[in-house]
Amino acid sequence: MSEPFEPKIVAFVCTYCTYAGADLAGTSRLKYAPNVRIVRLPCTGRISPMFILKALQKGADGVLVSGCHPGDCHFTHGNYHARRRWMVFRALLDFTGIPPERVMFSWISAAEGSKFADLINSVTEDIRKLGPFDQYQELITETESPATL
Amino acid sequence: MITQEKYRTTVKELLANGTIKMAIGYRPGSTPDRRRPLFIRTSEEADQLVLDSTCITNLSGYLVTEGLLSDEKQVGIFLRPEGIRSINILAAEYQLNVDQIVIFGFDSTGREVRPLQGRNAGDFSALLTEIKENPPLTSKEPLLERVEKMNAKERFDFWQEEFSRCIKCYACRQACPMCYCRRCIVDSNQPQWINTSSHTLGNFEWNVVRAFHLSGRCVQCGNCDRACPVNIPLRLINQRMAKEVVDGFDHFAGLSPTQEPVLASFKKDDTETFIL
Repeated sequence: MSEPFEPKIVAFVCTYCTYAGADLAGTSRLKYAPNVRIVRLPCTGRISPMFILKALQKGADGVLVSGCHPGDCHFTHGNYHARRRWMVFRALLDFTGIPPERVMFSWISAAEGSKFADLINSVTEDIRKLGPFDQYQELITETESPATL
Repeated sequence: MITQEKYRTTVKELLANGTIKMAIGYRPGSTPDRRRPLFIRTSEEADQLVLDSTCITNLSGYLVTEGLLSDEKQVGIFLRPEGIRSINILAAEYQLNVDQIVIFGFDSTGREVRPLQGRNAGDFSALLTEIKENPPLTSKEPLLERVEKMNAKERFDFWQEEFSRCIKCYACRQACPMCYCRRCIVDSNQPQWINTSSHTLGNFEWNVVRAFHLSGRCVQCGNCDRACPVNIPLRLINQRMAKEVVDGFDHFAGLSPTQEPVLASFKKDDTETFIL
């Protein structure tokens, strides 16, 4: 009997909004899927596209990037810069064959603990339906350095 | 031919009266349809200058050579419209001062070469606006259309096939006027973002990163395409990204020396349909 596929999801979040939102989800005792590995960064403006590539390189089946709603950035406009960057990077990934469903972006504020829990659940389900990112896994295997996630 | 002679005389004059310390142009290469860069410092060197329809390389990258412009003297350079756009981008990114650049503009249709009116980067804004309105068709359009029609899996396979030939020579980086970083991200190893071995994953990552760094900056000069020893259609990705930036942010790279770089600026009402 084969075990059900458990997707590995990496979430890059900003410390002022989404990380605080995740914290709120925790303190509110909300249950959400354990498949997500959260990486906390100072701002979405700090989230380089390299991070997303690195997560995929280490065997992630999906990547979530999340930060403050527009206008709420602790640094006033880090998320506006990030938004442009994501739009271009997303198009680039799409054009080079990485399904856009695997790399997701969202705004979650510090008050949206339940949105965080719901989003993690739905993202996990979506990736579970898509299945493991086999095409990328093949490439990782070829490098002979194991995916560490 | 007439254009070539005229420009030879102009270069000689400007060198003689000390307006420019050097002119960067073309000279014959190893085969009749190849051209090499020529760095003209004397009147004799100006006689070697060639200007015809085979002069297609975008020479603007030579301007950011370390120390070339640091004495604040002027340098002349032969540029097609794409090259003029490159100069504008380099100026907008504070890599050079446009006042130091004397532009010898030219363009060609078929085998006919004609000069462009103007000497300074600012003189060409009407021409560049016209190019923005009616972008010239490139030979890549059919392929672009074909790739866009594929589904994600087919596209992934298509690019893996192309990138599997990559030997990580970084000729695309060397040839690109926009790749002027002293230390490229692939050369840094703490942390090492990109696999440097030339297995397919490393090749994929390198080419994605290269394309991302050129998004909203590429002017479609084709230097990367011609430099690639294994004929990967590198320009295709750049072309797709240029389209994205024009459609999404109405940003046509290199319109003026003061244009804000697209990924270093933002509007509060940028589209965000993709955000959950």
